[in-house]
Amino acid sequence: MNRHFRRIFYVFCCGFVALVGVLAYWQVYAKQRLADNPNNGLQSKRELQAPRGLILARDGQTVLAKSVKSGKDYKRVYPQGALYSNVVGYWSQRYGATGIELTQNSNLSGNAEPRTLDELLNQLSGGPQPGDNVELTLDPRLQKLSYDLIKNSSSGKGAIVAINPKTGEILALASYPSYDPNNIDQNFKKIQKNPNDLLLDRATQGLYPPGSTMKVITAAAALKKGVKPTDVFNDPGYYYPMGSGYAVTNYKGASYGNVTFQKALDLSINVIFAKVAVEYVGAKALYDMAKNFGFGDSYNDLPLQITPSSVGPPPSKWDKNYLATAAFGQAQVQATPFEMAMVAATVANDGIMMKPRIIKEVRSPEGVLLEKTHPSVDHRVLDASTAQTLNQMMQSVVTQGDAGAAKIPGVTVAGKTGTAETPSGAPDAWFISFAPANDPKIAVAVLVHNGGDSETNAVPLAQKVMQQALKENL
Amino acid sequence: MARRATLPMILALAITFVGFFTLIFVKGITSPPLAYGAAYAGVLLGLYILVRIMLPHADALLLPIVTLLTGVGLVMIFRLTYDVRGIENLATTQVVWILIGSAAMLLVILLFRNYERLLEYKYLIGIVAILFMASVATPLGYEVNGARLWLHLGPVNIQPSEFAKIALIIFYAGYLADKREVMAATSRSFLGMQIPALKYFGPVAVVWGASLLLLVVENDLGDSLLFFAVPLLMLYVATGRMAYIVLGGILFGIGAYAAYNLFGHVQLRVIAWLNPWPHAQDQCCYQVVQSLFNIADGGITGTGLGEGFAQTIPDVQTDFIFASVASELGLLGASALLLVFLAFVYRGIKIAMLATDPAAKLLAFGLTAMFALQTLIIVGGVTKAIPLTGVTLPFVSYGGSSIVGNFILTGLLLVISEHAGKQHAAARDEYYAGGEEYAG
Repeated sequence: MNRHFRRIFYVFCCGFVALVGVLAYWQVYAKQRLADNPNNGLQSKRELQAPRGLILARDGQTVLAKSVKSGKDYKRVYPQGALYSNVVGYWSQRYGATGIELTQNSNLSGNAEPRTLDELLNQLSGGPQPGDNVELTLDPRLQKLSYDLIKNSSSGKGAIVAINPKTGEILALASYPSYDPNNIDQNFKKIQKNPNDLLLDRATQGLYPPGSTMKVITAAAALKKGVKPTDVFNDPGYYYPMGSGYAVTNYKGASYGNVTFQKALDLSINVIFAKVAVEYVGAKALYDMAKNFGFGDSYNDLPLQITPSSVGPPPSKWDKNYLATAAFGQAQVQATPFEMAMVAATVANDGIMMKPRIIKEVRSPEGVLLEKTHPSVDHRVLDASTAQTLNQMMQSVVTQGDAGAAKIPGVTVAGKTGTAETPSGAPDAWFISFAPANDPKIAVAVLVHNGGDSETNAVPLAQKVMQQALKENL
Repeated sequence: MARRATLPMILALAITFVGFFTLIFVKGITSPPLAYGAAYAGVLLGLYILVRIMLPHADALLLPIVTLLTGVGLVMIFRLTYDVRGIENLATTQVVWILIGSAAMLLVILLFRNYERLLEYKYLIGIVAILFMASVATPLGYEVNGARLWLHLGPVNIQPSEFAKIALIIFYAGYLADKREVMAATSRSFLGMQIPALKYFGPVAVVWGASLLLLVVENDLGDSLLFFAVPLLMLYVATGRMAYIVLGGILFGIGAYAAYNLFGHVQLRVIAWLNPWPHAQDQCCYQVVQSLFNIADGGITGTGLGEGFAQTIPDVQTDFIFASVASELGLLGASALLLVFLAFVYRGIKIAMLATDPAAKLLAFGLTAMFALQTLIIVGGVTKAIPLTGVTLPFVSYGGSSIVGNFILTGLLLVISEHAGKQHAAARDEYYAGGEEYAG
């Protein structure tokens, strides 16, 4: 019998070895796959037991999100409420996470690779790991001002984006109306049902016809094709792109006669821009220029969800009517305020687009600097002389044209207005601008959705934001 | 045969205490009543010393292994239930069961030091075991989670199958020891395999069939598997005929196919085994999916005692307790625990090999095989290596009947070991001028 006992014992041994193998499969090989399973709630349970990192504004003082002990677990608190929620997002056990809370989760939750001795020891001991602190590029005063300006605007709906053209730092990214991310678990359903689209960040995800602000891109394409600001065009008050049929007209049916290309930008003359686009630029060149300025890009390096702006179908599908209307930002052209701010910033920075940045730095809970972002060039959009010409043309819009309300005493300001027709309601009021024009420190895009004409409803808002930014010397 | 194992015994108790103090430190909880801890340590140490005195030739390592397993179980049960409303005193209840188990073990040692007496009553024991299992069909029995396995006896609830399996192994051992020679003799051959005469199978087949039928009716898949496989293994070792294993395999295939087609709950178990992921939130698969999440969460070194989330597994303290060990102690800790189980199996097989009379050999082997299979079945189940069938993890899981049954099992192994040890010592004394073997 002993021989058989031994045999069976070996079989049992094999069974135990196999079980260790199965354990190793789950605990080593399949560990990450199971941790990522959407039904696996263990990670979020663990995350509740350790404080998440702080989210701070660029001053390092203004707290945008923090974790507060509540009973056994930690609770996420947003002291600034709705003011930053479009950027910071929310972090919920039930509804997931959005914004910086989502994209910076590995830093905030302390799940990133340990980078300080404290973190390493903490991870080895398996104890709850406090998250790292994330500092944003947003300036608290500029953000507050922008938010309040939209809130008190003619329609009370819209967005303001402010960027440092030389560094790519986003200084303000305000959207109104927005939501209070505090107690999101209880309030989420109510926020979601609100007819005002509270969860939509109008600055980065709202798509609006850019109207005449698009003329900056059309003008850039025209300059590249050899059109000069001094070239004279005739405006009889209408233009038939196809020779007959549909006619482009000017805002409020105006006609301007013989005017320079510069004047056409100053006064935002649709007829001349349509003519220039059809007869000098062409569909492909306009499309390529828009693409070069960032249309179609979702800016994946930026830890924010950016909806790509669009000039509609590919240029091979455009007829002359489409091209003519796309030239002044109608047709199916749609842009986010963020994209139009990037356009202004690129012209301001001598035609070089900087990589946009929202994260300034990441620090451990003890204050050790772990990550710091630096200015970096994304790509050159315009050669320096074209950019300089366009810069001067945009200065003229403020000094000679329809954007006089953008003037700041002692500072040269450049800009372009936009009053875009919308499918419903009053037109969208746009203004994109930068200052000081000879040494730009701030580029701003203002959108007031259904706000009315640009001159009175968008330009003054941008002027205040630029003035504040220059005063702060950001 | 290891004769002394004081050091392993102290080590086992020390590990248990370190576990408790870690928990108290990590969780910042007030300790369970110290009296219970002292009672646990005192009783097992006392048991160890008593057994050393009463059975000086018996395997001394079995009790330290039992102490370690019950200790790990207690720590985990306490950790998993101390803050759960309604079951916060489960660990102290388990201590009481360990005390009762220890008493039962002493009783077994006192009454059955001459286990031959036990084997003489094999038919009676077999019949009583079957009747005891059938008793859950009476109004005294009741259902838990769709399986009617429990018996109300006054203030306590008993799971008769936990005791019946030991009784049946006694029956099989006694019967097979008597008849093994005639059963090994072959009269015909079929497909090249030697087929033994069938007439000696009557009693075994009746008891085997009756016990399986009862378990299937009671919806107890895990115990069905044990009651099926252990007698087959005993038959194999008793006769040395591989044919029994092959025949058993064929029968198992047929039975499993029939059960799959007949019972909806068997189909659900198979779904939960093959691909539980799409049903992670459904009743069929929630438990096993949570088990795997927790096991994976442990990684190589574990989350640390008290830092895991195994409480997300429903009823984790009984059948799924191994998942909590794997989660909090990791691959290393769980493998170490499996090694401790293997050590018990090794000692059991060793006892069977050293025993001299066939009935004792078969009994020791049967008990050990059941212990080993039960461990493999439940650990395989919670790790999804095989379909999940609910049995307890011996000595570790919460459960009174299981604890007491396994103490009785250990008691029987000890008396067999004592008997063999005594004979070996006597034989040795004849040939050598006395020599003592030490271990530990």
